[in-house]
Amino acid sequence: MSSTNIVETRGLTKRYGSGVVAVQDLNLNVHRGEVYGFLGPNGAGKTTTLRMLVGLIRPTSGRATVVDGTPGSAQSLRRVGAMVESPAFWPYLSGRDNLRVLARYCGAPEKRVKSLLDEVDLSQRAREQFANYSTGMKQRLGLAAALLKDPDLLILDEPTNGLDPQGMADFRELIKRIGQGARTVLLSSHLLGEVEQICTRVGVIAKGRLVAEGSIDELRGGSRLLIRATPSDRARALLEQEAGAENVALADGVFSVKLDPDKAGAVNRHLVEAGLEVTELRAGERSLEDVFMELTGTEGGL
Amino acid sequence: MILFAFRAEWFKAVRRPAIWVTIGLLLLLAVGVFYVVIYLVATHTTARVRLQGTDLASLRAGLYPGALVKKALGQANGLDGIFALILGVLLQGSEYGWQTVKTSNIQLPGRLTVLAGRLASLALLVLIMVLALFAVDALASYVIALVDGKSTTFPAPGDILRAVAAALLILGFWAAFGVALATLFRQSAMAIGLGLAYGLVIETLVFGLLGGLGDVVTQVHVWFPIANGTYLLQAFGADSGNGGGAVAAVPTTPEADATHAVLVLLAYVLGLVILSGALTRRRDVL
Repeated sequence: MSSTNIVETRGLTKRYGSGVVAVQDLNLNVHRGEVYGFLGPNGAGKTTTLRMLVGLIRPTSGRATVVDGTPGSAQSLRRVGAMVESPAFWPYLSGRDNLRVLARYCGAPEKRVKSLLDEVDLSQRAREQFANYSTGMKQRLGLAAALLKDPDLLILDEPTNGLDPQGMADFRELIKRIGQGARTVLLSSHLLGEVEQICTRVGVIAKGRLVAEGSIDELRGGSRLLIRATPSDRARALLEQEAGAENVALADGVFSVKLDPDKAGAVNRHLVEAGLEVTELRAGERSLEDVFMELTGTEGGL
Repeated sequence: MILFAFRAEWFKAVRRPAIWVTIGLLLLLAVGVFYVVIYLVATHTTARVRLQGTDLASLRAGLYPGALVKKALGQANGLDGIFALILGVLLQGSEYGWQTVKTSNIQLPGRLTVLAGRLASLALLVLIMVLALFAVDALASYVIALVDGKSTTFPAPGDILRAVAAALLILGFWAAFGVALATLFRQSAMAIGLGLAYGLVIETLVFGLLGGLGDVVTQVHVWFPIANGTYLLQAFGADSGNGGGAVAAVPTTPEADATHAVLVLLAYVLGLVILSGALTRRRDVL
């Protein structure tokens, strides 16, 4: 395993008895210290992957290394905190007592319970039964539970699911704060805005396969210029000379050219000097949503 | 690590109302039905009425402290066993219902460690249940003896200790059966339903129907848990016909002795724990 990776999977595959392949040949690389977004539409295999990373389910084939150990091993779990799917706790216990149970399981000191309740802003309601908690409170308690071991790697599976817009915004701020410093956060989501705001690198999964991995800028394909010029055949020839054929695409009469927007003036001059009519020229960026839809071939889950 | 798991499991168990409601209800039934109701029947039934299989004098004598062992063990294979089964299912089955299996397994390395902590916690609860049963039975018999002006002498402490151990083994089997069923079905309802069906009907019915076929059936039956619970109770002279469903299918003269019964029951407890462990370790947590 590469020393820069805290999570690494090679050929990870999960096939269920019914023949359904939930995850196929997954090669994931999560770097130490980053906030990694694991993006994919509903049913793409995100949760199955995360369950394999914490040892809740066993892969059919392939291997995974999580914080220098095999998933679910003592060596790995000691340094991993996770919230997989919706947080599950003992409903008859208070939020505080639920954390005290988990602190006993992992041998965490009792005083950590109190500090975590403060950190996730749950101290005021800590003595209420979990069964009476709102979705937001449950998510916060789940986050506190994941942080009990002061983990090197924090795995969060769609943590803002079911929250209202204000709750989502608050939760994102909380994750940003928690992800500062040396801690690595692996966050699965189907909410592109969320990932764009929080994450430094992204992996996109579709139909069980990793279809892209890299920084958000890399995924967007960097900066580009959008140009409308006629006649288009001559315009294409000139632009390909300028940027290379592989960096020029035409859609709806607009050329998308992978070029630094600073070069807009020079490109405009060349086109005009060649006798072309330029009716539109502007800097353009592919949104993560464009990239996501292109990669996953879906509009679902957005 | 097992100590960590036990501390967590015990913390949960003692704060769970359903556990104490189960134990409390059993104690209430033990005193209410098997002392108070029987005392009222023995006191107010007219001499002409003869209860099936017994008479009023022996019914009354069974309520005094001298009969504590016999009386306290009387339901070990019946009502007490069913309540121990419920305890086992409560501790294990609810974890699937609440999806807290994943929560605890993510926190602590080792699914088997979590299970070991839970089983240790369950064993302690069963011990508390058995001791409480003997205590309330002792109290009820003492009060009745005082009211009737009869002897308040209890059996020898050694006899009581052996009876507690026997009850612990039989109830331990039922509790382990509950855990195994809940693990197998990953839920409580099915586990309680099947556990009750087995305890009250299945073993009784099958061997009751096959009883006429001769020795081969008897030789098979001596390896079944309810039959062995009954053999063990019969070694204490316990009146085990009050509630144990399968008891009726077991002959009055035991086909096996107490040692055989203890070994078979221990094997069942061990087997059920191993089965629960294998299922817990092997299966995906969905």
